[in-house]
Amino acid sequence: MNEMPYLPPQEIIEAGRKGLLNLNRYTNPEDIERLRELLADYSGVHKGHIMLGPGSDLLLREAIQTCSKGRKVIMVSPSFFPTVQTAKQFATKLISIRLSPPEFDLDLNFLIDELKEPCLVIIDNPNNPTGKILLDRHAVEAIIKNKDVLLLIDEAYYEFSGATFADMVQNSPNLVITRTMDKGFSLAGARVGYVIAGKVFLEAFSSFYAFLPQSSLHAAIEALKNPDYMRRNIHQVIEERKRVMRILDKLDVQLFPSRTNFFLARTKIPDIARKLRDIGILISDLSNQLPSGFIRVSIGTREENDIFIDGYKKIREAYV
Amino acid sequence: MKNKIGLIVNPVAGMGGSVGLKGTDGEMYKKALKLGAKPVTPKRTMILLSHINNKDKITLFVAPGKMGEEYVKDFDIQFTAIGMVGKEVSAEDTKKISSEMVKKGIELLIFVGGDGTARDVYDAINSKVPVVGVPAGVKIFSSVFAVSASAAAEMVDAFLEGTDVTEQEVLDIDEDAFRKDRLASRLYGYLIVPNVESFLQPGKEASSTSRASVDSKEEIAAYIVEQMAQETLYLLGPGTTLKAIADEMGLQKTLLGIDAVFAGKLVGKDTNEKGILNLLKIYEKRKIIVTPIGGNGFIFGRGSKQFSPEVIKQVGRKNIMVVGTKDKVNILDCLRVDTGDFEVDRFLCGYMEVTVGYKEGMMVKVKC
Repeated sequence: MNEMPYLPPQEIIEAGRKGLLNLNRYTNPEDIERLRELLADYSGVHKGHIMLGPGSDLLLREAIQTCSKGRKVIMVSPSFFPTVQTAKQFATKLISIRLSPPEFDLDLNFLIDELKEPCLVIIDNPNNPTGKILLDRHAVEAIIKNKDVLLLIDEAYYEFSGATFADMVQNSPNLVITRTMDKGFSLAGARVGYVIAGKVFLEAFSSFYAFLPQSSLHAAIEALKNPDYMRRNIHQVIEERKRVMRILDKLDVQLFPSRTNFFLARTKIPDIARKLRDIGILISDLSNQLPSGFIRVSIGTREENDIFIDGYKKIREAYV
Repeated sequence: MKNKIGLIVNPVAGMGGSVGLKGTDGEMYKKALKLGAKPVTPKRTMILLSHINNKDKITLFVAPGKMGEEYVKDFDIQFTAIGMVGKEVSAEDTKKISSEMVKKGIELLIFVGGDGTARDVYDAINSKVPVVGVPAGVKIFSSVFAVSASAAAEMVDAFLEGTDVTEQEVLDIDEDAFRKDRLASRLYGYLIVPNVESFLQPGKEASSTSRASVDSKEEIAAYIVEQMAQETLYLLGPGTTLKAIADEMGLQKTLLGIDAVFAGKLVGKDTNEKGILNLLKIYEKRKIIVTPIGGNGFIFGRGSKQFSPEVIKQVGRKNIMVVGTKDKVNILDCLRVDTGDFEVDRFLCGYMEVTVGYKEGMMVKVKC
């Protein structure tokens, strides 16, 4: 599930616990505003562009449902979007642009050519499961200059990639960014998602209001007061990712550069996901999304990563 | 010291394709000739030879006449002809000459042909030397072949530059069953090939019969039939997804052949190239609907040679519709074409939309 393997600091857990003391009450609007302010500050945008929701997947679904009516929806494949069915239900048509191995590049010229009618373009950046950055500033500008095009960028892994277009939202009414505190901030159990929305999306979302649970709200506020722990954890995960990839590189595994807390790999060992599962190691089996041999490996603690490496080595020895 | 490389061309391979015979095993090539089939292998052999970069590093051992010698003469390559063949060549010639070449110490054998030729080569040399298969047959379901003749040349160069080798499958396709609209194949053996994954054609994978896959084909069929225009001729290629479209229309389609539909009625069944060209004279608006071959992604050039370069040119790229279930399309690197006509292959390259569900498409790159 690509969670952060490390717990948040004790004061954040305490803040979440304090939130439970008001369990009989709805969330205080002032606390909601406080979280929006902190997120705006963290993202470098005005508070008016921030909207909250219980998990970025719910916000994504809401955005797709609201903005895909009468539009063609363009996505990439492979991708992580459990909301494809929503798009199929409301969109005029759903088109996925195949990212072909081994580069998994998004062909920007081709995408621009496709934007001749009202479209909602949805791109996860970095992409899941490839871990690749698909968009740069030039690409985003080229897409959003088409006024009939709405662009939704999922930055669920922003804390790992450092790549964001949040600063473009203020002057780009047709741009929206979805983010989550699940991953980088170690708050997957709190489900705090937010959008950084341009004017068109803010209007489309005007009737949307999602309460956050008391404990989630207070934990998120505390986390944003001092996000240094998040940066330390991110650094640790990235170092671990590099270490695991260095070891796998010597084991005949084809590896793909990642800007997230997971990485894409291709192995010649058949049915590797099942073989790992049989010894208690869970990775993501991509056999129904990509050509044979592709897997996605999430970075855990050093101990968990070592268990994975040892398990892989044992399976490999039996195979070779 | 030059590398010794063998070259055998099966001059009748692929001739059954455009005339709709689905293969030339046994005596079937004579029937193909009567139907006006033209040799396929000369052009493929010329493309192969012209694309080999390391010509100065090799000495070729070639089969005589149209089994190889005839084509090599036009190139600046050192060569020696091996063995003798009669006016009509047979599988036995391929086997006999392959064995002789191995005795002469070849390090690599290039053969130009189809699945039947691969079986003959396997019978003769087994895994004694690596091979490069140049695709020229009708079906090409074995995975010992390069994706195209020019890719085969690159595999030869890679071998000369020291790439390692790998085992790949040779399949036995029952051509009689194939002509009766039934695909029956079995593993025949393994040949060793240079390990250049990007140039090597993955073998055909069986169509999925899972409930989800069947549902997906029905969803695709419903959408395609909804989009069909009354005044357009539709040429439906082989495959179970195309059969699902015909089923949706209440029509009996040949599973492995090409059928033509106009205004909801069948106007051509198991049609060959000539038949299709005749239909194109009658119907002004026309579309081809094809599905990629599972596992290797070919939409033209494998198993449906009735869609000849001429047919494709006349129909035009924008009138080609591709359909395929997500479980089939997701695991492909790309779509592929190998029509035998470089210009046609080039104009088919680039992104093409594959209908993968109801109101759902996937843009996939076509490579040649």
